[in-house]
Amino acid sequence: MAVQSDVVDDAGPYDRAKALSAFKLGDVTFYWITRLSAISVLLILGGIIISLIVGAFPAMKEYGLSFLWTQRWAPSADPPVLGALGPMYGTLVTSFIAMLIAIPVGLGIAIFLTELCPQWLRRPIGMAVELLAGIPSIIYGMWGFFVLGPFLANTFQPFMIRVFDGVPVLGAIFAGPPSYLSLFNAALILAIMVLPFITSISVDVFKTVPPVLKEAAYGVGCTTWEVVRSVVIPYTRVGIIGGVMLALGRALGETMAVTFIIGNSFRISSSIFAPGTTISAAIASEFAESDGLHQSGLILLGLLLFVLTFFVLAAARLMLLRLEQKAGK
Amino acid sequence: MSEMSVSVSAPTVHPGSQPLPEAPAKVIARNLNFYYGEHHALKNINLALGTNRVTAFIGPSGCGKSTLLRIFNRMYDLYPGQRATGQLLLDHTNILDPKLDLNLLRARVGMVFQKPTPFPMTIYENIAFGIRLYEKISKSEMDDRVEKALRGGALWNEVKDKLNASGLSLSGGQQQRLCIARTVAVRPEVILFDEPCSALDPISTAKVEELIQELSENYTIAIVTHNMQQAARVSDKTAFMYLGELIEFDDTSKIFTSPSDRRTQDYITGRFG
Repeated sequence: MAVQSDVVDDAGPYDRAKALSAFKLGDVTFYWITRLSAISVLLILGGIIISLIVGAFPAMKEYGLSFLWTQRWAPSADPPVLGALGPMYGTLVTSFIAMLIAIPVGLGIAIFLTELCPQWLRRPIGMAVELLAGIPSIIYGMWGFFVLGPFLANTFQPFMIRVFDGVPVLGAIFAGPPSYLSLFNAALILAIMVLPFITSISVDVFKTVPPVLKEAAYGVGCTTWEVVRSVVIPYTRVGIIGGVMLALGRALGETMAVTFIIGNSFRISSSIFAPGTTISAAIASEFAESDGLHQSGLILLGLLLFVLTFFVLAAARLMLLRLEQKAGK
Repeated sequence: MSEMSVSVSAPTVHPGSQPLPEAPAKVIARNLNFYYGEHHALKNINLALGTNRVTAFIGPSGCGKSTLLRIFNRMYDLYPGQRATGQLLLDHTNILDPKLDLNLLRARVGMVFQKPTPFPMTIYENIAFGIRLYEKISKSEMDDRVEKALRGGALWNEVKDKLNASGLSLSGGQQQRLCIARTVAVRPEVILFDEPCSALDPISTAKVEELIQELSENYTIAIVTHNMQQAARVSDKTAFMYLGELIEFDDTSKIFTSPSDRRTQDYITGRFG
């Protein structure tokens, strides 16, 4: 306080007000710059949605809601018949299987790295996981096409068919002629692609667990598994779900690798070893040669993917909220 | 100034506390040494914790009291590069035996930490969790055990109407008593307190101290504290440690009235540390 009054005495009240107003101008400028940056996000998002709706409007008018449950996709028929059921099914099924594989494996890697791994092994595995995230998706696509596809078709699928032959639901899921290109192949590639997201975020949040909390759990006699299950994961579940959602967002939208290996068939088959398609793969493989109603239909597919992703993320938020309520906070 | 420090008297020992008769030893350390990598943190510690007695460990920061405590339940095992040599017995069990089942050891030797560490679950689950690790019991039995443990932690009356609230919703003092109740629920033989009151307000501290006194009827207790009055109030025996060595170990009343080592005298009268 004393220092401030000295300044006022030396410089006089007038100068001080002037100096302050200069600061104020800076403040106002800063406020508007940040505000405009924030608003631009809304504008860009709104612009994308509007242009999608405008582009999709002819298809919406033509097919209405039946677009959602029509399986047939025949753009060259007269008049063209377009339905989104196949791509939607493919998108959801591949992402679901991918998450089914990636979540336990990703968490497992994270748990191993933070709780169990000897020091000398920690860096190599950590770096490998990060490198996995850096591989361009087209390379995953090629690998899926040339390596994983043949293996799945020649070895894995026959094995699954033999094991589940005659079992009611599972038999149908694994049935069908072997094909290099399949939903399962795409799902597996997606699982590998999203694994680093889940792992690296989980590792980061696992590291935020206070050591003393873990010691306390070990102190009542927990094994490592019990500490992880009852203390580490509950303590970090918000962060883990965040990581899973990020991964899911990527899986739903991934285009290049999936287009390469999914087979681009719009027909829905009960078997996960049959070719299929996803929304993004359908758009990528057809957009260049499309026009008129066909193109509008593809844009409508894009809009659907947008909505689908939005709902998935909203559902995740809701789940998080309910978890927090249940934990009694 | 020097006159001032002379006039700072040693803390008074709790009233009417004649030294209790010697108790049979529960934990015995012989030539115990401890290393953090190359650093020799504990040097040739020899002492015994009496059964159902409270032993206090005092000494300036970094003297190795907490380190010693963490050997008693092998907590140091979680970290690579830390090792202990010598002999440490819990009854007839060799605590340092590499083949020892650590989970069972830690069930026998419970620990309460400096900061309250409730698990991220409900109050009820915080207690039931530890019990479930060792026993399969019915829901009604579990209810009984949880109530008993919370009573043991002098917390029951404050939480009995909100057992399903998160353990993290309690105040700091309540959380610490929850942690004590959780430790007691597992029915250990020895309870280690690592500065249990340093994050608590005076009223909570008084409650925890009272609790420690009550617990000493059934449990062997070791407590690390920076608060000399606390050591004088709650303990039967006191160990003074300095630079990794056990300087003096004797009845609390003796340590605080007529310590035999000059360094103990200096420390408890506040001349260093």
